[in-house]
Amino acid sequence: MSHHAQATGSGRYTAAARTLSIGERAKALFVDWSLALPLIVMASLLLIAPALSMVWSSFAGEDGHFTLANWAKTFSSAASQHAMENSLLLAATVATLSTLFGTPLSWMISRMARWSRSFHLGILNVAANFSGIGLGFAYVAALGTYGMVTLAFQNVGLGFTGLPQSSFTGLVLAYCYSNVPLFVLLSLPVMSLLRDEWWEAAQTSAATRWQFWRYIGAPVLMPFILADWLLIFTWSAGMYGLPVALVGEKPGAFRLVTVEMYRSLYGSFFGDHRMPVYAVLLMCLAAVSLLTNRWIMRRGTRWLT
Amino acid sequence: MSTITIEHVSKRYGDKLALDDVSLNVHSGELIALLGSSGCGKTTLLRAIAGLIDPSAGRILFDGRDVTAVPTRMRPIGMVFQSYSLFPNMTVRQNIAFPLKVRGQSTAAIARRVDELLALIGLGEWADRHPSQLSGGQQQRTALARALAPDPAVLLLDEPLSALDAVVRLHLRDEIRRIQQSIRTTALLVTHDQSEALAVADRVVVMRQGRIEQLATPASLYETPTTAFSASFIGNRNALNLPVRDGRIRLCGTIEIATALTTPRALVFVRSEDVRRSNDASGQAATIENRIFEGSTTRFYLTIPTDDGPLHVKADWPSRETDELRSGDTINVVIDPRDAHVFPG
Amino acid sequence: MVDLTRAQESPAFPAVARPTVAWGRPKPGFFGLLLLSVTVFYIFLPMIAVFLYGLATTWTNHVTPDGYTLAHWRDSLADGRFRVVLGRSLALAIGTAVLDLLLVTPAVYWQRVRNPRIRPVIEILAAIPFSVPYAVIAFGLLPLSGTYAPSLQGTLWLLLPAHAAVAFSFAYWAIDSSMAASNVVGLSEAARTCGANVATTLTRVILPNIMPGLASGAVLAFGVSFNEVALVQILCGNRFETVPLYTLNLLKSTDADFNSLAVMTGITFAITLVLSVLVVSLNKGRAAAGGTTDAKGAPA
Ligand SMILES: Nc1ncnc2c1ncn2[C@@H]1O[C@H](COP(=O)(O)OP(=O)(O)OP(=O)(O)O)[C@@H](O)[C@H]1O
Ligand SMILES: [Mg+2]
Repeated sequence: MSHHAQATGSGRYTAAARTLSIGERAKALFVDWSLALPLIVMASLLLIAPALSMVWSSFAGEDGHFTLANWAKTFSSAASQHAMENSLLLAATVATLSTLFGTPLSWMISRMARWSRSFHLGILNVAANFSGIGLGFAYVAALGTYGMVTLAFQNVGLGFTGLPQSSFTGLVLAYCYSNVPLFVLLSLPVMSLLRDEWWEAAQTSAATRWQFWRYIGAPVLMPFILADWLLIFTWSAGMYGLPVALVGEKPGAFRLVTVEMYRSLYGSFFGDHRMPVYAVLLMCLAAVSLLTNRWIMRRGTRWLT
Repeated sequence: MSTITIEHVSKRYGDKLALDDVSLNVHSGELIALLGSSGCGKTTLLRAIAGLIDPSAGRILFDGRDVTAVPTRMRPIGMVFQSYSLFPNMTVRQNIAFPLKVRGQSTAAIARRVDELLALIGLGEWADRHPSQLSGGQQQRTALARALAPDPAVLLLDEPLSALDAVVRLHLRDEIRRIQQSIRTTALLVTHDQSEALAVADRVVVMRQGRIEQLATPASLYETPTTAFSASFIGNRNALNLPVRDGRIRLCGTIEIATALTTPRALVFVRSEDVRRSNDASGQAATIENRIFEGSTTRFYLTIPTDDGPLHVKADWPSRETDELRSGDTINVVIDPRDAHVFPG
Repeated sequence: MVDLTRAQESPAFPAVARPTVAWGRPKPGFFGLLLLSVTVFYIFLPMIAVFLYGLATTWTNHVTPDGYTLAHWRDSLADGRFRVVLGRSLALAIGTAVLDLLLVTPAVYWQRVRNPRIRPVIEILAAIPFSVPYAVIAFGLLPLSGTYAPSLQGTLWLLLPAHAAVAFSFAYWAIDSSMAASNVVGLSEAARTCGANVATTLTRVILPNIMPGLASGAVLAFGVSFNEVALVQILCGNRFETVPLYTLNLLKSTDADFNSLAVMTGITFAITLVLSVLVVSLNKGRAAAGGTTDAKGAPA
């Protein structure tokens, strides 16, 4: 207890705490945490408890006892395997495309004059925010069977009947809409780590632009780009609103983990047992991604400190 | 080794002229020091020579060949940046090796050269550190080694010694001079330290507001500044603003200088060591206001009463010979008119 | 909706060099310009389609609608269900913002002036909604609330705290950085030496100084709640229809009315735009280019 009090407060409190009775110390402890308690209690109840409950459900049989059956069934079912593969593949594709397009975009924007920088940032900002159900509809309105682009193509005599919105390609296009801008916003602060004077120093060392990127630009940026890739990957795998809007309940449509979870709300056509397993898998992905992200950041900034 | 010719180079930033019609001829193997107050365009001039900025007007030639349009990396230069600009992801060794690596030298040759340079700058034991783990002075030495690595024909040094302590600074100053002479590279060195400029340079350029104020050898710059600005910049000079009467300026007492000036007032520069003590009556009485011990010399702040009001003068005298002088004492001083440099006031 | 730049700056991120605008400012090359324009075009395309659908009389087989009318906007805004949904979403988002401010501000303040050990706890809690999909949280809450608080199921009284919980991290980053910037510790100590008690210190000294942070925290929380669909759908379903859920239902229905969908999406879009502008302008002082975006873009 006294150890705790020491670690907690500044010297003022510590000195007092040593001479206090247990009850008074408990009171001091309470005061130390008091204003944060509502937030901590609420967030724990609404964020940690559900996570634990999902973990528990994924290991609970119908009789409420511990079992690995849910996991075994999920991983042995071809449909779930498909859903998981699809989700990972989609997420990896989207993250990779976002990185490929986002990095040069981010670089260009970071070196723009103030006003054109604000202009592009504003557009990207809105696009990154416009990512849920609204985007689902906007996508249909543009590229669906009666979408603007579809009609435009047909008008010039191309037999384009709209992108199937629940196909892999369709989903990738829709996901990229918010994820490419998101990647740019994520990576923009890092672009300013790359100082102009390094390019100048490289030039005076007779380096070409390519050599500069090869030996300085890429090594400096790479860890951050990887970290951002990982975040986009995780977020894409967990996206819910957009795929539900685009894929929904259509039988035989593209399977995705989040869409399967959505279907378990209504459907009885597949056992409830898979949903908690999916949820735990997504949680694990989140945890791994977050920890890796922190680790990469620490390594990436090692030479900065 | 290469001559550098700068012909009427100007650089404009918005409505500010950072370089204003600068022309300069640097001989092959020469070391030129650029002196001038902050913001006068020294860095801008180096960057123009390096090709990091395009001059708004004028040409730059290396060995008579116009390089104004040649990209930086094709110019035979090595440069130390004012802010070092070390590559943060590379160790000291890798930083120094970089110019050699991009020039496609063999690994063995690079290793040999880098070891040589590490020994020269005395950073052997720090070779595998990243720049962020080094002190400012160590970073600056690394930057110097990186610039020297490829034996460049033109060496551009933007305050390469500013972050170093006095001892290392003197040592490296002399090393730079030695290397520069041994590989006979042409060098431009920016510095704020006039003694550094006078000590290492073959010629010194004094810059002011984007223009070259004076170009001269250290000795002639020290002895005969051609403008009031140079005079105030080099040597510890008293700047005395005095009236001109009938083509004569009365310094103090009986000491007068003949002048062709027609302006009502004149700016007279007298180095502080040229204010001498005298024991005969030709001297002028002066009161010691304050004395500051500076090692081998001691600086005295003196007040000389004149008809135009008191004149405040500083004088540097050998400490050994002035032990007995105290604040408040009155002594006799003389100034030889030949030591004074006169400019319109 | 979060200022994403924070996410990277927060724990392990050292001070970022100010964005430089030199590099001789090269003009983007051909491919650069191409990439930029394709991106801008790709972003604008669906927005234009939505905009036109909101104004179209009919749209059969031309590139542009057959005719234009304001009728959809008028009808939609006059429609009872539409109004209820919009009002509900706004109320929920405002409630979330207020609740988050009430919960987060005292906690961050206390952490700074009294007990630094609060910080790691909040940071861990804040990392959860940042990385775990909202759908997962929602599916976890469903059985829990069924067991322990069945009467709350399907009501605002479960949804509101849930939204506050997932949105709090974004409010937290905004408020925390403004408290750091305005040096609340120093301010509190100064106030205490003047004889002020905790309440006076908070209301008269601290709050006025961290107002911009509070405002942008509130805007971020509002944005998360307004665009969120997973929690709404999974916890309440159609018993509590919000704008995204209404849009989803409309989109799913067999006779999807594109025009009124376009109006709803247009409104969502306009609100998104306003929020983005607000966050950027509230963060104007910050060096890193202000990014605001939906929680993760993801589980919205
Ligand atoms: N990129 C730029 N944009 C606008 N003005 C500039 C730029 N670079 C330099 N200047 C201006 O040009 C002038 C000369 O700058 P320069 O860096 O050459 O000075 P300097 O002599 O190197 O000074 P210091 O001794 O402080 O390094 C300064 O007034 C500076 O403000
Ligand atoms: Mg300079």
